[in-house]
Order: sequence, then C-alpha cells, then structure tokens
Amino acid sequence: MVEHKYEPTKWNEMKAPVIGGRETYQAKSWNPPKEKWGTFTEEGPAKVWFAEANATNWTESMICKAKDLFYEAKLNECFDKGDEVAIKIHYGEYNRTAILRPEYIAAIVEEVKACGGHPYVVNDTTLSYHTHNNMAYSQYQMEGAIRHGYTDATFGCPVLIADGYSGEDDYRVEMPEGLILKETFIGRAVAEADAMIVLAHARGHSITMYGGILKQIGIGCQSKRGKYITHLAHWGDPHDAIGWPKFTDQCPGKACKFHQMCDDSCPRGAHHVTEHGKVWNPELCRLCYSCQVTCIFSGMTGVTFEENYFPNAMIAHADAALGALKCFERGKVGYINCAIDVVPECDCFPWAGLAVCPDVGLFASKDLIANEMATLDAIDNMPINPGSVADEKGLKPGDDKFREINGFSPRITMAAGEKIGLGTMEYELINYEPVLTPENAAKWQVRPNKPVTMRLRETFHRHDLATEVMPFNRSEYNKEWVWNEWKKYDPFKGETPE
Amino acid sequence: MSGIVWIDAENMTVDNTVLHKLTELIHKSDAISGLSEGMRVALKVNTSEEGYEYGLRPSFIKVVAEIVNDVSVKRSVVCDGQKLVDYWKQLKGNTFLATASVKGYSSETLGGHFVINGGFSGDEGDLFPCGHANSEVGGVEVGTAVCRSDALWVLSHVTLHPLFGLSGALLNGGFECLSGRARTRLLRGANPYIFNGQCPREQDVHEFQHRALESHLGVSASVQGRVFYINYLWDITPQPEYYPYSAQPVSANLGFMASHDPVALDAATFSLLAEQSAKCDMVKNIDFDAVLKEAENLKIGHINQTVVRSS
Repeated sequence: MVEHKYEPTKWNEMKAPVIGGRETYQAKSWNPPKEKWGTFTEEGPAKVWFAEANATNWTESMICKAKDLFYEAKLNECFDKGDEVAIKIHYGEYNRTAILRPEYIAAIVEEVKACGGHPYVVNDTTLSYHTHNNMAYSQYQMEGAIRHGYTDATFGCPVLIADGYSGEDDYRVEMPEGLILKETFIGRAVAEADAMIVLAHARGHSITMYGGILKQIGIGCQSKRGKYITHLAHWGDPHDAIGWPKFTDQCPGKACKFHQMCDDSCPRGAHHVTEHGKVWNPELCRLCYSCQVTCIFSGMTGVTFEENYFPNAMIAHADAALGALKCFERGKVGYINCAIDVVPECDCFPWAGLAVCPDVGLFASKDLIANEMATLDAIDNMPINPGSVADEKGLKPGDDKFREINGFSPRITMAAGEKIGLGTMEYELINYEPVLTPENAAKWQVRPNKPVTMRLRETFHRHDLATEVMPFNRSEYNKEWVWNEWKKYDPFKGETPE
Repeated sequence: MSGIVWIDAENMTVDNTVLHKLTELIHKSDAISGLSEGMRVALKVNTSEEGYEYGLRPSFIKVVAEIVNDVSVKRSVVCDGQKLVDYWKQLKGNTFLATASVKGYSSETLGGHFVINGGFSGDEGDLFPCGHANSEVGGVEVGTAVCRSDALWVLSHVTLHPLFGLSGALLNGGFECLSGRARTRLLRGANPYIFNGQCPREQDVHEFQHRALESHLGVSASVQGRVFYINYLWDITPQPEYYPYSAQPVSANLGFMASHDPVALDAATFSLLAEQSAKCDMVKNIDFDAVLKEAENLKIGHINQTVVRSS
C-alpha cells in the first residue's frame, strides 16, 4: 500500500475583504418588494391537503390527484385571469433519474391555463457545485431538461431559465427581517411573475438536509449571485471556513488520482495541486462548493465543510426564500410537495440513491412551512426502504430521517422560516380521497367529454379493421389446450396463489 | 473592395434546393475557416412578431446551424433579442418564447440552442465601447448570448425598415444584438411603428441611424471582430419582423448573399433589391446610400464590393 505524504494547504492570506462593484450594481432597477407581501397564515394551524401515493382506479391516479389537490388547496386562487404564472420546478442534473416526472408539471400547467393564467416553467442556473455539473450553464441545463422530458411540447408552455442566459438576469431584493441575509438576488422570470406555483420533489439534500418547496424557493429562485450570498460566500474569516471551503491536511496532492479534476473544478482558478497538497487563494474563491463537492464525490477528504456551516446555510436559505416571496403579493404563491422517489440527495446530484422510504404522496397548501412540516412528518413516519441508506443506518419509522442521514434536522430551517414569517409550523392535515363516480373518472381524462370508445365507435363505423382480417389464423380451438395445456408452462403447474 | 457571394433563387432542382444553395453559399464564402473546434458560436436571427407571417422558415436557419455545429463540434446558440416595443404589450421572456414557438422556432427545429439574447428580461448584457473617440453613443450593452460567444454569425431576413431603411446585416448585426435597455436608449423615443399615425421626424431618423451604426462597432468588439453575415433575400416584405403584420413582399425571392463585410453586403443587397423593385415606391423612397456612406465613414466596412453570383 502506498503511503501518501500530506502537506498542510498553503494559503495566500487575504489582506482585506474583497471590495466589489456593488455601489453601481442595478442601482436603478431593483425590484421593490410588493406592498401587500405578508405571511399567509396569520394564526392557528394551516391547512395542508394530502393525497396518498397509491391508486386503484382512474380517479386515484397521482396525476388526477395532483389536479384535485390544486383545487382543494385553492391554489387556483393564487392568480387572476391573465396573470403570468411562474411554475417553479427543479430541472434535474444530467444523468439524474429521481426527478419529477413531466406529467406532474404538465398537469399543473394545464389547470393554470384552464383557470385563465399564463404559465411558464422556470428554474435558475446554479453555481458550479462540481466538475461535471450541467446546471451551472444555461445551455447545458436546458439540454439536460430536454433529456428529462421537460420541454414546451410536454408541458404546453414555455420552459426557460429564470436568471437569463448567463445567470445574471436578476433583481436585488432587500429583507431586513432576515436572520443572516439582509439581501438576495432573484431570477427575473420569478421576480417579474404575477404569481407562482412551486412544485417540488420532496427528498433529501446534503447541504439543507431536506429539499422540498422551501428549497425550491430559497435556492431554486436565487440567481447565481443569489446563490453565492445564500451559500454564505465570504461570510466570516477564511480560517473559520463557514463561508469558505475547509482545506484539511488530508490532500495527497498529485498522488490523488482525481487531482486534475480537483484543479479543474474551480471556475475561478482559486486553488491548484502541489506535489503533496494544495495551494489556495481565498481572494479568488467565491464559495461555489465545486472543490468541496468534487473532492467528496471522489471519495476523498482534502476539501470539505466546517460542521457548523450546515445549520447556518439552512437558516440562510430560509432568509433567501423570504427574498423570493417578497416579489409577490400575499397569497399569490401556492405550494405542492411531491414526496415520491424520496431519495437521500438533491436533484442536482448526477445520480440517484435508493429511496429511503416508499412513496408518500402529494401535499398542497398555501402555507409554505405548514406544507413542509406535514411532508417531513409523513416521510419520517414511513417505513424504511430495504437497502437504502436509511436501512444501512438502522433507522426506524418515526426517526427524523434526514437528520440521521444527512446530519442536522431539517426542522432548523422550518423554525427559522416560521420566525421570519414564511408560514407556521402548525398544520391541520386533510386527507383527500377521490370518490369513484363516472363524472370523477372522466374529469381528468384526455377527452373528458367524449370517451375514447365513442371516438373509436365512429372510426370502426367507417372502417371495421378487425373484421377485415377475420377469421384470424390460429390453431384449432381445443378445450384440453384451454383448460390444461397452458399449465405445462407454469412453474406452479396452474395452482392459484392463496 | 469586399467580396460577396450571391446564390440566386433560380434553377431549383432536386439536388439544388434552397438548403443545397445555403450550404453552397457558406462553403463558397469561406465562412467556416474562421471557426475552429470548441468555439462557441452565436447565430443571431430574426424571430417575428405575432401577426407577421413572412418569417424565415426554421429549416433555413437549421441548415446553417448544423454546419456550424459540425465545425465547432459544439451546439451553436441561436438567439434573438426581445421585441423592443412589443406591439401586443407582451414584453417578457415567456411570451417571446411562446410567440417564437408558434412560428416553429425552437431548439429542436433550429438545430441550435434557442435562447433570448439578454435573458428573460432582455436586459442581461455587458458594456462594450463603440470604437472611436468621437462616438456619440460611447458604449453599448450587448446581449449575453452574443457577447459571451467566441464568434457571431448574423443571419438576417432582409426586409425594409421604417427607421433604418433596410433590415439586413448592419442592423441585425448591430442594434438588434443589444440588450433591450441599450436599444431603448439608442431609439431615444423614436416610434418604430409608422403605420399608426406616428411618424418620427427626419432628423430623429438620421440620428437613430447614426447611433445604430455606432452600436455595430460595439457588437463587433464584443466578439473580437469574428463576425460573418448572411442576408436572406427571401420574402422581402415592406415591414420588418417586429411588425404585427406585413404587406406582401416587394420583390421576388432573390436568393442568399454572404460576406464578412456588413457594409458591402447590405450595399449589394440594396442595390439588387432596388434593381428588382424599380417600380416599387417604397424601395425608391429609401435613401440607404446615406446609411452606407456613414457606415463606411465609421470604418464598419466598404461600400465597394465584388459580387460572385451562382445558382
């Protein structure tokens, strides 16, 4: 076994904080928060509608239930006729499979249109995050989105990047109420919408522990600049490693087979490998996670996070969510969590682990925090999926799953969110079960007013395609065959299960 | 003297279709020698307004995009800026894309990644100087899809233009590549619609032409002069693509012209159009020579040109 030499990372010490050009940034164009902004729930528990992830008939299709919940939770009242309605989703990293199926998004787009809204689907660009991230660059993100089936054709409305071609098309929003952040930067396709429906894939997250609707706003609506501030770039002293990558003394330098990937990971060239370690220049670093995540994804330990980074980042992303919501009037944003494929990591991962629990279902509400709490509680109460990381860690139903899996309780974010007015942690869960009636069976079908059988009846009347080739050529009908011969092909010899 | 390649619209056969002609145009123009593997190439096109029905067919763009993709071994970016004054008051990126989609313009049909130059708002851009000390404009904000590219190909649907005279390489490769905010600044309130009773003063038009020409220098600087121009002399309508309607074309289809020199290209284009539409008052009344002379004075290119024609 080769023994590596490790050298402490050589730092070029910062002489002073970086002075940028913020005096002139968008001085005249920033988007003032809406006057009627305010938390949706003023007192008491907020209602959250829930539909379980199971189906046995037409009405119980998850897509049909998503449409039902849209109306049950009165998300149709989040916008007026003629409003431009942003549908915020996550476009998913290249090669990622655990993402929302396009049908869920199409279903909500259809209902927004049916109610007179003008929907468009949005996501912002990300920071680099790791060497092979495709979401940091708008063109690559869209190519990935198309590969996932997220297109104008599948949704029936424009699909675009909220913060422009280069991730710079944003507005600065001030939020003095923020616990850590006092301003953030919101992609203009979000900031300029009249209303927004947030449709989130509820699952784990390695920075915020859990990612649902709040994550879709607190990170997903932030432009590149918004993501830098929310990720706490340059917060504190580099030696504290809160707003900076933490360089350990475990970097084997050029002996690491990933050292070139590591050097390539920084979009600003802030670090480079040496014979037995790294040299890092914090003046160039803006904290994009790229060196940290590339190192961690590679199974190495040379660049990582300070442990206290995570809870602070979680609180910061609640602040950032406030920045996005201040672009809307009160009640103009609706939320749907899809707790399906509840995997341990974010949709920005270029792979997907096994789901930590069976599919849970759909949650809809106008209260952000209540919806998140209902979703988290339901996920925690679900059984553990065999073979998943939750199973490997020996978790049981009722455990705070994402705390055990990712390190901190996601409820930190929710408590912070409640404190700054994003919603209430108290919720009243309303179980929604569709009733099977002919009307409900027809309601969300492709042609609700004319069953396909009636269309085919017209077709067959014009051209009887089956009769045209009858009688079909088959072996002669034989009762012995029909009753007994097939059993020779059955490993159970025709016995029916008990 | 600059060289122009002109492939006319005649002698159409099964192996000499429009798409064959466009391919030949590019090869005869030596356009691809300016490209290399790994270059990010922006193709600036004109997407039409709702109600304008003479826009270029997507396949006319796609054939060019695929050639660029092959040479650069990269998917090109096809872009256009938001309509400056949207006649239907739909000024946001989602409505821009919805209108383009109705016209058949998408990443799938155009052969390149279709984006809004300047992002959702149209205002995402960087400032570039307009080249000379006496510049009135000083600098212009060029849209990000253009200025973040290594090279720019300007694919212009040639039409008449109420302010500039001709919508071709000079306008589409300059003013039309700017962010929305920069274009508003350059217009200085001149109304680009003259059919609704509004008619800008002649002085305002001349001043706008000058500013638009200066902006061409800023756009060229943003891609370090790596610009190539194709003029599509096809469905040459009296109204440009940003109009919410168009009268029928003023001329028969004349084919396609290409050059590295936008002044020479527009000079050859207008000269041919004037010859073919001698009886058309709308064309006769345009004083495009003044625009060309000013462009030459600004050192954007040369008016004198050698046209090599083929079918």
